[in-house]
Amino acid sequence: MTRSFAVLCAGGFCGLALVAGTAAEPWFEEITHKAGIFAKHSNRVFDNPYAKIMAGYTALGASVAVADFDGDGFDDVYITDSSDDGKNHLYRNNHDLTFTDVGESAGIANGNDSRNASAAALWFDFNNDGRPDLLVVRFGHNQLFENLGGGKFEEVTKKAGLDRYMNAITAIAFDYDHDGYVDLFVGGYFKPVDIFKPDTPNFFPENFETAQNGGGVVLFHNNGDGTFSDVTEKAGLKQSGWTLSLGHGDADNDGWDDLYVACDFGTDHFFRNNHDGTFKDLTESAIGIDTKKGMNVDWGDFDNDGLLDIYVTNITDDYMKEGNFLWHNNGNLTFSDVARETGTYNTGWGWGAKFFDYDNDGWLDLYVMNGWVSAGQESYVPDIFTMITTPGLDLSDARNWPVMGNKSLSGYQKKRLFHNERGQLFKDEAPRFGLDSERDGRGIGIADFDNDGRLDMIVANANAEPQLYHNKVPNGAHWVQFLLEGVKSNRSAVGAQVRIVSDGNKRLSFVNGGNSFAGQSTSRVHFGLGKATTLESVEVRWPSGAIDKYHGLAVDQLYHLKEGSSTKRK
Amino acid sequence: MGAAAPSPDEIFGQGIQAAGDKDWDKALSLMEQALAADPNNLRYGSEYRQAVVSRAIALHRKEGTPQDFERSLNYFEKLVKDNPNAENAWLNYGFAYVDKIPAAGSITQVILANTALTQFSKSIALKPTWIALYTRGNSYLYWPRIFGRAGLGVADLEKAFAMQKAEPKKSYHVRVYTSLGDGYWKTDNIEKAQAVWNEGLKQFPDNQGLKDRLSKQGDDLGAYIDNALDPNKRVDTNLKELWTSR
Repeated sequence: MTRSFAVLCAGGFCGLALVAGTAAEPWFEEITHKAGIFAKHSNRVFDNPYAKIMAGYTALGASVAVADFDGDGFDDVYITDSSDDGKNHLYRNNHDLTFTDVGESAGIANGNDSRNASAAALWFDFNNDGRPDLLVVRFGHNQLFENLGGGKFEEVTKKAGLDRYMNAITAIAFDYDHDGYVDLFVGGYFKPVDIFKPDTPNFFPENFETAQNGGGVVLFHNNGDGTFSDVTEKAGLKQSGWTLSLGHGDADNDGWDDLYVACDFGTDHFFRNNHDGTFKDLTESAIGIDTKKGMNVDWGDFDNDGLLDIYVTNITDDYMKEGNFLWHNNGNLTFSDVARETGTYNTGWGWGAKFFDYDNDGWLDLYVMNGWVSAGQESYVPDIFTMITTPGLDLSDARNWPVMGNKSLSGYQKKRLFHNERGQLFKDEAPRFGLDSERDGRGIGIADFDNDGRLDMIVANANAEPQLYHNKVPNGAHWVQFLLEGVKSNRSAVGAQVRIVSDGNKRLSFVNGGNSFAGQSTSRVHFGLGKATTLESVEVRWPSGAIDKYHGLAVDQLYHLKEGSSTKRK
Repeated sequence: MGAAAPSPDEIFGQGIQAAGDKDWDKALSLMEQALAADPNNLRYGSEYRQAVVSRAIALHRKEGTPQDFERSLNYFEKLVKDNPNAENAWLNYGFAYVDKIPAAGSITQVILANTALTQFSKSIALKPTWIALYTRGNSYLYWPRIFGRAGLGVADLEKAFAMQKAEPKKSYHVRVYTSLGDGYWKTDNIEKAQAVWNEGLKQFPDNQGLKDRLSKQGDDLGAYIDNALDPNKRVDTNLKELWTSR
């Protein structure tokens, strides 16, 4: 079926003005303070017998989540803090690359107290009312806020059936069973003991490579009536690893999203969607059993072969050379790691990483956050290895772990911006563009905050200010963006795949529901088009199974595509 | 009158034959029998370990699984318990840990490497042979600088160097020239590193490793040595050069 289309002129901008910058202009400008997004993140300081030990292992909770919460056509940002009295921030986009913190007035600022610490955040429209709702992922009890419109939110955690103690650290939302509602998939780090007032010292990982005493995962099925049910076991997803990141994507192009679960202290997992509300664990055949410290999952077709690939960060440093994974999708539900060959193997102690096309050349680039704890000059490495090589220690006992104090561990590591050299190699351009900050990066959100067709980046750093980078790449490359709306499918169209043909080149992307560690990007689907000035075709495969096709769309536009019907202007 | 019992060498030979036929269980059993009869036999232990490595690679992806190496570790554990004064059994026991390293995760690699050093030290305490000193000294060099073990490696390698200087030249002596230079490099003594590599190249003019080191400087040299001492790469622990060298 061929559909008509309409241009979404967000805030009066119709996407025609590509900046013709000069060579002297910086390609990226850090506008954090100018934009008003500079509240510093602070790690949680615990008050319990294990506090000094825990401090070295909880430098977490700095995260960003992007969504247009007020439907004004400009993406906004939610940023978490983790300190006891720290406020979370909802930065409303003022349409001029400045933002106003409206978290307090919206009622979603209070994500931290003595028994809860914010770890991440996720926007998802659980009730299909067209307004993104907010999950604050916490060590403690998660919070679900329903977006009431008018800049107001109401906490509905208990009503939704989501009020339980978890040491949750990550979450994604996608419609795994195609019932038209996005479901919630939450990853836990520590097992669900109250880490604020633990009644046992045995809540640390039992070993470094095969630990099974972590928080595991929980799949909450969206019942469509504002409530959720735990279906983890029924879905075949029950496990107890130290989850750090989750990612959904359709590995075999069967229209159903599969799952990658990245775990610290043990193997990652790959699950195939069985189309019946269950998943099959294909880890061994798909990726093999690993012993690494999986930190991040992002899906993207980096080589434009029509299959979604996966990027996973691990720990690589002088003392531990795990190497990241760039899982090339072989098309048969197996993946081959090409990180070494592509130059994406060693970034340091990796955290969040995102595929996106920063220069609109049609190839997905990668921005990778790195670094654990940047403190004093003394290194914590000898301490940790003394523990490791001490025979007979019960590592699950927090008291056996050395205090980090003011020592550093894989600190002061640079972020990497990998430019994709036509799907074969990635070249680090971060130093060239001033994007190689040594703050302890955690998550990254990608969005076109000024609707100029170039993707900007917002970075969350642990114990430091975030960083907002305005993309001013002056190469004049073309682009197109799509904002999708499901009808039979979930309204936010999570899982919808978009395939375009431009100048004969095929490209694939999809609407993802919060993939990667501590960072959620825009829900728009963005394609860089390089020199192409025409779009031969656009095909949308909706989670419902419906396929819509569009022809003759102009480039440098943002389109609103509605499932099964002509689009309408917002 | 029955036939005479086969000698350890005969049993070992049958084991080698079985390994060649990829009859792994038979090969390992026969070699274990030979070792039990002659526990300090360096060659038996080395070939036994090589069979274990070959089996692991043949049966599993890449470097095998950690479980593939349990049999030899358990065997050597018992062998040294039964024969606590067999310095070469301790040496091969240490090598058995090294053999497992590429199949292990990064943290376990550290534990294995550390345990291997313990076994090498027991061997040296019993008898400080050239091979034991070279082995332990070279092992120290794989540790990241932050652990400060390169200096210990240099000390061992200098002793091995002195020993080989007092012996007729052997092809395997080039290893100490290479490693001692690497040790000097890792302890920031680049002039001594180049001097020992140059001396080695005079003795072994065709050695590519020495040529490579002497042709590089700065970061290039660092990257080369780091690559040579990458713990994720399987270290060739086959000792056959000791008995085949002229």
